[in-house]
Amino acid sequence: MNQTGSTAVSRGSGPSRAQWIVISAVLLCLALITGALLYAMPVLTLLGNHDAARGRGVPAPAHAPPPLNSKERINILLLGSDNDQKFPQDALLSQTMIVLSVDPAHHQVTLLSLPRDLWVEIPGYGNAKIDLAYARGGAPLARAAVEKAFKIPIHYYAWIGLKGLVRVVDRLGGIDVDVLHPVLDDNYPNDFNDSGYGTERVYLAAGPQHLDGRHALQYVRSRHGDLLSDFGRSIRQQQVLLALQQRAEGIDLVTALPNFARDLNGHVKTDLDLVRVTQLALFIRGLRPGDVRQAFITPYVRDATSPDGQQILLADWPAVNRYVRQLFGDDLLP
Amino acid sequence: MRRPGRALILAAIALLAGACTSNGAASHDPGKVVLPAKQTTVAGNLYATKGRSLYRFSGTHLTPLLTGVKVKDPAVSADGTRLAFAQLQEQSSTIVLSDVDGKARQTITPSSGPEGALWAFSPSFSADAQKLLYLTDRGKQPSSPRDLQPNDLAVWLYDAASARSHRIAVPVAYTGGDSDPVFRPAASDQVVYTTYLYGGVPLQPVARLTWMSSQTGASVSLSPERARDFQPAFSPNGRFLAFIRADSGRDDLYVMALGASFGREPRPYPTEAAILLQSGMVSQPVWAPDGSAIAFLMLTRGSFDLFVLPVATSGTLRASGPAQAVTHGSFLDADSRLAWSP
Repeated sequence: MNQTGSTAVSRGSGPSRAQWIVISAVLLCLALITGALLYAMPVLTLLGNHDAARGRGVPAPAHAPPPLNSKERINILLLGSDNDQKFPQDALLSQTMIVLSVDPAHHQVTLLSLPRDLWVEIPGYGNAKIDLAYARGGAPLARAAVEKAFKIPIHYYAWIGLKGLVRVVDRLGGIDVDVLHPVLDDNYPNDFNDSGYGTERVYLAAGPQHLDGRHALQYVRSRHGDLLSDFGRSIRQQQVLLALQQRAEGIDLVTALPNFARDLNGHVKTDLDLVRVTQLALFIRGLRPGDVRQAFITPYVRDATSPDGQQILLADWPAVNRYVRQLFGDDLLP
Repeated sequence: MRRPGRALILAAIALLAGACTSNGAASHDPGKVVLPAKQTTVAGNLYATKGRSLYRFSGTHLTPLLTGVKVKDPAVSADGTRLAFAQLQEQSSTIVLSDVDGKARQTITPSSGPEGALWAFSPSFSADAQKLLYLTDRGKQPSSPRDLQPNDLAVWLYDAASARSHRIAVPVAYTGGDSDPVFRPAASDQVVYTTYLYGGVPLQPVARLTWMSSQTGASVSLSPERARDFQPAFSPNGRFLAFIRADSGRDDLYVMALGASFGREPRPYPTEAAILLQSGMVSQPVWAPDGSAIAFLMLTRGSFDLFVLPVATSGTLRASGPAQAVTHGSFLDADSRLAWSP
């Protein structure tokens, strides 16, 4: 009896085997959840950084994003700005506007550069340079201006600042680029000095080379020694995007993504969600050079002066529309 | 609105799937020159830079030179006794001459002038080492953000006898200027360099090899109008010219025979008959002093490394074997010239 009683007391003083299994499973789940949260938190924080909601009078996006499992085209408006100290953070002109169009059905990506000086109708603001849209109404207005002018449905946007680009390139260990011309610029904006108004001298030799983040930024931003001016910059911007894609091919996404997110926090805004980012990242890393199409509307624009005296680019819209239809087929707005 | 739990699970699955399809991590700069386990023996002395530090490869030995000096574009005289290089400062650079160990240094170009701070790059010796070609923006118009003037590198000639320099070619404005000047061995009045310009409709970046007589100033283009040919390098006997051609997203190494001289623009353009030696992202070709090989930098697994390619020039012009890696994962400076002496 005593022995039995003793045994009963002993069993009653600790969890049973089944209870241990349950406790272990709960602890394991907690550990997994904690690990997943620690892993994903920087990414979710980054992706939670959106532009303000649409202002009054700004049209809603024309199309909702296609479902995850569809083969429909996805268009993302890539925006880049000077965001150094000399600009108010809520009124940045977009220095870069590129429509990145992912066509899963044909395993193709198109990069279409939109010149910043292009004269378009900005909803609620009349005619102006297209780069004003982001300054006046953030990404929602930039998206609306592009949809109205080009009839391209923009499903998502992604904005990156100067330091963001530098950090992306450095995190990837630099990029490899064939610099198309020698880059000499005695008046390159010294982006990261205290006032933001300083200049520095920049030189990049022509030819294949490895660029760190600072020099990659100099390559895409400089235009003072380039006869092609903004068009030249558009070519270089697309070159750097392709170099980033090639460099990212060998990166282990699992370990790299949280570090990327931490580096970029505050320097990127987007309405892409984590699942779509992951889906696109996996698609883009599987691209071969022939799968990427670079597009420019340069042949269909001409220099002009606006009624208020600005140097602008006027488009031959019928020609632009034909060109965009060649690129996007029937995936355009009515 | 969003379901983060489901999103997390989907993302984790997708990421793991992605990791499984990773095709090998892109390498990161190790901060030093790394020699492969199976070393390639370098005949003579081959100079290259990494992180703006100068290194000499000889046999299987690696020697750092000019400690503490930021170096770009090393050049060596044909007899191997003199070095020239661009010494980089914060916002300017100068051409410096020295012995082959980097001692007895002499700066031959100014770091600034009335026009402001100056760049100087890409020195190249004549066969007798009495003259030097180089690039500089000397003579430019002062420029400001509100009054932008052309700012382009031009080819200049330094004469050791008089210790004076003068410009020998005028670059196309707003192109960044000319690049890669070299003397033709055994014909030191002949110069070849890369002319940068724009061509086509709409305008596109163009790079053409230009031959010129430094005596008469006459010049002809060796490349077609829409070409992207650059970084010319003469064989030691001056008969062959190696260069890089950018095409279809690659930067390939080509080689061609070159006529003795040119009275008028050659047709077809000589580079149209050039022979492909090495595909890839290649830069900075330089010939071995005996003409038996060409060294170059090539992008391999995310790093520009030094390779030596054996070349046959008797009979059919061709690579006579595969390229041998001299360095491995070293991130050498692909924008800085190589130099090779006996």
